Amino acid sequence: MKKKMNRRTFLKYSAAVGATTAISGFPTIIRSQPKEILIGSVQPVTGPLADIGIACRRGNQMAVDEINAKGGIKSIGGAKLKLLLGDSEAKEEVGRMEAERLIKDGAVCIVGPFMSGIAMAIATLCEARGIPFVIDIAAADVITQKGYKYTFRCFPTVSTFMKNMGEYISQIVKEKKVSVKKIAVTNTGDLFGRVQGKGWVDYVKAKKLPFDVEVVEHIEYPVGVADLSAEVAKIKAAKPDLLCPVTRPGDAKILVRELFKQRVEILGIASPGAPGLYEPEFIRDMGKLADFVLNNVPWVNPRSPKFKEINERFSKLYPGKYVDTNSGYAYLGVMVIADTLERAKSTKPEDFLEALRKTDYKENPMVGGPVQFAANGDNLNATSAMIQILKGEIKVVLPKDAAEADYIFPTPQLWER
Amino acid sequence: MKRIYFLLGFLLLILLLLPVFVSDYILGVFVLIFFYAYLGQCWNVLTGYAGPISLGHSLYVGIGAYISTKLAMDFGLSPWIGMWIGALGATLIGLAVGFLGFRFGLKGIYFVLLTIAFAEIGRLIALHLKPLGHMMGLFIDFKPGWVNFHFKGNLPYYYIGLGYVVFSLIVVRAIEASKWGRYFVALREDEDAAESIGINAFKYKMIAIGISSFLAALGGTFYANYIFYLHPTSVMSMWVSIEIIMRPIIGGLGTPFGPLIGSLLLTPLSEIARSYFTKAGLEGIHVVIYGFLLVAAVLFFPGGIFSYIKKILKPLLGSSKEI
Repeated sequence: MKKKMNRRTFLKYSAAVGATTAISGFPTIIRSQPKEILIGSVQPVTGPLADIGIACRRGNQMAVDEINAKGGIKSIGGAKLKLLLGDSEAKEEVGRMEAERLIKDGAVCIVGPFMSGIAMAIATLCEARGIPFVIDIAAADVITQKGYKYTFRCFPTVSTFMKNMGEYISQIVKEKKVSVKKIAVTNTGDLFGRVQGKGWVDYVKAKKLPFDVEVVEHIEYPVGVADLSAEVAKIKAAKPDLLCPVTRPGDAKILVRELFKQRVEILGIASPGAPGLYEPEFIRDMGKLADFVLNNVPWVNPRSPKFKEINERFSKLYPGKYVDTNSGYAYLGVMVIADTLERAKSTKPEDFLEALRKTDYKENPMVGGPVQFAANGDNLNATSAMIQILKGEIKVVLPKDAAEADYIFPTPQLWER
Repeated sequence: MKRIYFLLGFLLLILLLLPVFVSDYILGVFVLIFFYAYLGQCWNVLTGYAGPISLGHSLYVGIGAYISTKLAMDFGLSPWIGMWIGALGATLIGLAVGFLGFRFGLKGIYFVLLTIAFAEIGRLIALHLKPLGHMMGLFIDFKPGWVNFHFKGNLPYYYIGLGYVVFSLIVVRAIEASKWGRYFVALREDEDAAESIGINAFKYKMIAIGISSFLAALGGTFYANYIFYLHPTSVMSMWVSIEIIMRPIIGGLGTPFGPLIGSLLLTPLSEIARSYFTKAGLEGIHVVIYGFLLVAAVLFFPGGIFSYIKKILKPLLGSSKEI
């Protein structure tokens, strides 16, 4: 990283000198440093995904702060990291523009961007510019199937989700010796809902589960639906053993209440992965009805000491918040970059890529093994966990090596609790 | 003496030489400036000149983008050829929308609703069609080369974008100076009066929407091959339509330079707001600032900025009526 004294840095320095004590954080800029390595973070911090985008940006920033507090990148003379902030506004062309701006400002690599479409736009840009791109979150398989050399991904892919869901359900069925013959699937009509719902239906229909099972009902309803009585009546009539809903926060509550009202007898509710069924609001509002819901999601690893450490720090920085899937993976993305820089001993893209390919990052706060990249750039050990709400608390129940509790299945009927 | 052409030639020369002096990022900003100026111009043909307000122009952008991209992906047809096929497809849809609207005399808000409805239908169809990438969208392979319309740097996009803008300016100027242009304006100002002197309102409004949708679809191809990802939400949704109409409204409706001036002002404003006011802990402040700037623009230049620029340039251009 060359550090020139151009007009902008000069202005920044003089502004910093002027404002010395008033603003905390500035003194670190004043102190003379050997070098500064810039990392560009593009997240959807405004627009429809603002909450998630902010969580991701915080995750990125927390990793940067941690590295700096520990003395920066030691192999590059203790160079400090700096996060350049980009906002994609959840739009593809803005995401590309922002990545372009951060590259212009000197970012040695880009991290982000939560949305698959934006990931594609940035991946293509980075390929053209020769800048490494480490995806913290984006699930569409196709991004890493284009043969791009500069794109790497920490997050599991959609097909991994489905494979895991299949394996976890098989494990549950086998261990508990229950018979699951009929599955009902519901999903919301938005992008995510359809991809997840259809992915799971296709998986079951392709007979990838080791036991005989059929999809007896596949129901789709619009996001923001106010009433699901007809849908639940249909589910009840189909007499499924297992209900696999793909929900959003609003309809998750309506669905479970309606299942309760209509006394639908099922062995359990297991989502192939969907928000809505594990948020604090859901647990708070649904009380006992929230219990025992299973959900297959990328998740933090509660048994990882790393997770405990960063969660504590995160909660202190942002009271009332905790490290979740989004901030956790965003943190991991930057930590992988820092680890790579440490081994690459340089910020040149070639050295960086070379080191990135050999990544074996073990301090993973998320469920899944050490971060290692396949030839196409996917994280070989990225996976999802099965979580279950037990007595109002979210517990990881599968895989066993990350489990905090034993899962309960079949679950008590909603009205018998 | 047509001094205006001299001035324009000078401006064009500056824009042609600009890439020598600026970074890839600034070129990228200009690519977006040109892109939105161009789409604004397409919309301007219909709404600015002929009058019917369309809030569904994203539909034509999307159709153009999807057709040329699918042809390139499945048949290896160069987007340079596919874009014209896409444009024809969009024109057909545009004419269908126009037919329904104009044949049955939908005016004002009712025509607006019709255009929104069609754009939404298009978006939903694209969302549900598997060949169009379904819910995941189309991910385009990056194959750099002129034939494929894919480039590594922003420079080719810059010149192509500039070409689009110049092309649209020439088209609009030609329309404006022709009989059609006069008919369009007459229809916009008072349809009944125009019909009473023998202008076929239906025919000329159909021509306007045909040209408008044809041109907009060409813009879609540009977008697809610049972003490499197509999703109905990012090319066919309401906010795209709003982005399209904002530039001509700020710049000046029904003027050939309004969309370009609007885009030259708005696009960098949003970029500057974002790059200078992006701070951790103050997420969204740049959007607020951008919003204030927009409000200010509408407050201080209600007739569009172009009309003020015209006044300022008057002494320079003499009594020229070319603009």
